[in-house]
Amino acid sequence: MTRDWWKHLILIIGVIIVIAPFYMMVSYSFKSPGEIDRGEGGFFGQQELMVAPRCVALRTPGRDDIAAASSRFAGASDAEIRDALVAEAEADCSIRPVVFNYTQAFTEAPLLRYLLNGVIVTASIFLIQVVVALPAAYALAKLRFWGRDAVFGLVLFCLLIPVHAIALPLYIMLAKLGLTNTYAALVVPWTVSVFGIFLMRQFFLTVPDDLIDAARMDGMGEFAIVWRVMLPTAIPALLAFAIFSVVAHWNDYFWPRIVVTGNRDLFTPPLGLREFKGDGDGSFFGPMMATATVIVTPLIVAFLLAQKRFIEGITLNGMK
Amino acid sequence: MSAIEPTMIDQTTGPTAGHATKERRAAWVLTAPALILMVVILLGPVIIAGVLSFTNYSLGNSSFDWVGTQNYEKLFTRSTYEKMFVATLTYVVTVVPISVGLGLGAALLINSLGRFREIYKTIYFLPVMATLLAMAIAWEFMLHPSIGMVNRTLEMGCGTFLEQIWSFMSQGCADRFPVWLGDKRYAIWVICFIGIWQGFGFNMVLYLAGLTSVHRELYHAAEMDGARSAWERFRLVTWPALGPTTVFVVTITCIRAFQVFDTIEAFWPQGGGPNKSTYVMMFAIFEKGVQQNLIGIGSAITMLFLLFVMFLTLIQRWLVERKVHYK
Repeated sequence: MTRDWWKHLILIIGVIIVIAPFYMMVSYSFKSPGEIDRGEGGFFGQQELMVAPRCVALRTPGRDDIAAASSRFAGASDAEIRDALVAEAEADCSIRPVVFNYTQAFTEAPLLRYLLNGVIVTASIFLIQVVVALPAAYALAKLRFWGRDAVFGLVLFCLLIPVHAIALPLYIMLAKLGLTNTYAALVVPWTVSVFGIFLMRQFFLTVPDDLIDAARMDGMGEFAIVWRVMLPTAIPALLAFAIFSVVAHWNDYFWPRIVVTGNRDLFTPPLGLREFKGDGDGSFFGPMMATATVIVTPLIVAFLLAQKRFIEGITLNGMK
Repeated sequence: MSAIEPTMIDQTTGPTAGHATKERRAAWVLTAPALILMVVILLGPVIIAGVLSFTNYSLGNSSFDWVGTQNYEKLFTRSTYEKMFVATLTYVVTVVPISVGLGLGAALLINSLGRFREIYKTIYFLPVMATLLAMAIAWEFMLHPSIGMVNRTLEMGCGTFLEQIWSFMSQGCADRFPVWLGDKRYAIWVICFIGIWQGFGFNMVLYLAGLTSVHRELYHAAEMDGARSAWERFRLVTWPALGPTTVFVVTITCIRAFQVFDTIEAFWPQGGGPNKSTYVMMFAIFEKGVQQNLIGIGSAITMLFLLFVMFLTLIQRWLVERKVHYK
C-alpha cells in the first residue's frame, strides 16, 4: 500500500475526472436555479423552499379573482387584495427544489412515454434479433448444406458494415416505404444482428453433436431443436448478448434522430432529452439534469448490480 | 419466440426423402430470414448508396440525373469537405492513441494493485454505460463559460503559483477563461476529450482481460534473462503478449471514433461547430443527406466512410490472422 501510493494518486485523479460530470448532473438535479447560477449549496443544495415561476404565473389574479376575493378581505383596497392573493399563490407554489426539478422533468415533457418507448424499442430489437439469429446460427454451426460456406462468408462480410454508416440509404428506403416516424423505422435496421449470428454460431460449435442426435432420435424436428434444445444451452451467451444489445440501443441517438422527426409519441429517451434542451432557457438546468439523471440511471443501476455480466456483455466483441 | 415452435416443422418431406435432403431443406428455412434481412438491410443499402452517389437524387423528386463522379469531385475540392476530413482525422488521430494508451495505462496500474481494483474498474467503466447524449449535455454545463465547473475550478487557481508557470492560467485570470464550445481553437479538442473520457474504460476492460492471459512464468523467464526493470519486463513480455488485444482495441476504437456524432449534434445542432471545426463525417452525412436532402453528396460521403471502416477492419483481420505482434 505504501509503495503503491503514487498509483492510487494517479487513479484517483482519473476517478475525479470520470466522476465529475455524473456528480454535476445529479447535483444540479437537486438544486434550485439560484443555487446553480451562483454555484452554491454543496451536493444536495440547501433545499430551501423555492417558488415555481410557472405555477405563480398561472395564478396571477385577474379582476374577477379580486372581486371574488373581496368578501374575504373586508375593507381592503383592490391593490391590497391583489397583493394578498399573489402572496397566497406564492405560498401554494412553494416547493423543494428537488421535487420541483423531478416533477418538471416528468410533466414538462412526456418523459414516462419516452422511457416506455425506450423499453419497447430495445425489447423488440433484442427479441427479433434472437428470433432471426438463433436459427441461422444453429444451421451454420450444426447442419451440413450446400452453400453454407457462402452464407457464412456473407456473415463475415456483413460484419464489416456498421449500420450507422449506411443510415442514409436505409433512411431513403424507409422513407420510400412511408415508414419514417413509426416504431418499425426504429427497429427494422437492427433486426438482423450479424454479430449475434456470428457469436451464437461460435457458441453452438462448442455444443456436442450427441445432444442434437439424441433430440433427433426423440423425433424432434430442426425447429424444435433450435428452441427447445439449443436455446436453453445458449442462455448465458444470450444474456451477454442481451446486455450488449440493450445498452447499445437504449443509448443510441443517431438512428432515432434520423427517422423520428417531430412526433413526440415516438421519442426515445435521448431524443426526449435533446428536445428538452432545445426549448429550455437558463432556468431549466435543474429539470433538464433531472431528466438526464432519470435516463442514465436504469442502465447504471443495472450495471452496478451485475458488473461482471455487463462488462462481459459489452466487451463481447473481444471474444472473437 | 415460442410462437414459432413445433407447429412449423416441415411435414412435406415424406419418409422417402433422405436425411440429407431434409437437413438441407431445414437449414435453408432456418437461415432464410437472416439471409434475406442481411441482403435487404445491409448489402442493399451499400449498393443503393453506391448507385446514388453518382446521381443528383433527392427525396420527393420522381426523376434524377446521372452526374458521374461530380459528387466525389466536390468532396475533394470544396473547402467544406476539406474541413470535414480535417475534423474527422483530427478526432480519430487524437482519440485512438490516447484512449488506447490510457486504457492500457489504467489496466496496468489497476492490475498491479492489491486492493480497490474493482472500485477503479467500476468507476472507469461508468461512462461506457451512460447515455452519451445525456453526458454530453452534462459536459456542456461543466464547460459553461460563466457558471460551469471547469472554469470555476480554473478560477480558483488565480493568484497562486500556477499563474506564473502556466501562461494559459495567467491569460485566463487576466482576461477570462475560454468559452470552450464557442471557440474554434478549442471546440474539436473538447470533442476529443469527451470521446476519450467516454471510451478509455472500455479499452481498459479489454486490456485487463488480456492481462489475465499473460503467463506468470514468462515474467520469471524474462527476469532470468536479465530483464530487471519493470520497463524491460513490460517491453519483453507484457506488450508482445497483449499484441492481439491491442490490434482489436485499436480497430474497434478507430471504428467508433469515425462514428462520432452525438456530442457534436448536442453542442451544435446546426453547422458543425464554430467555423465548422467539428464538422465530422457522420454529421456531414446527417446534415447533407437527411436535413438538406442532398442525397447524392450524402451517399458519396457514406461510400467514403464505408471504405475507411472496411479498410481498417480488413487490416485488423489480416494482422490477427498472421498473428503479427506490434513491436
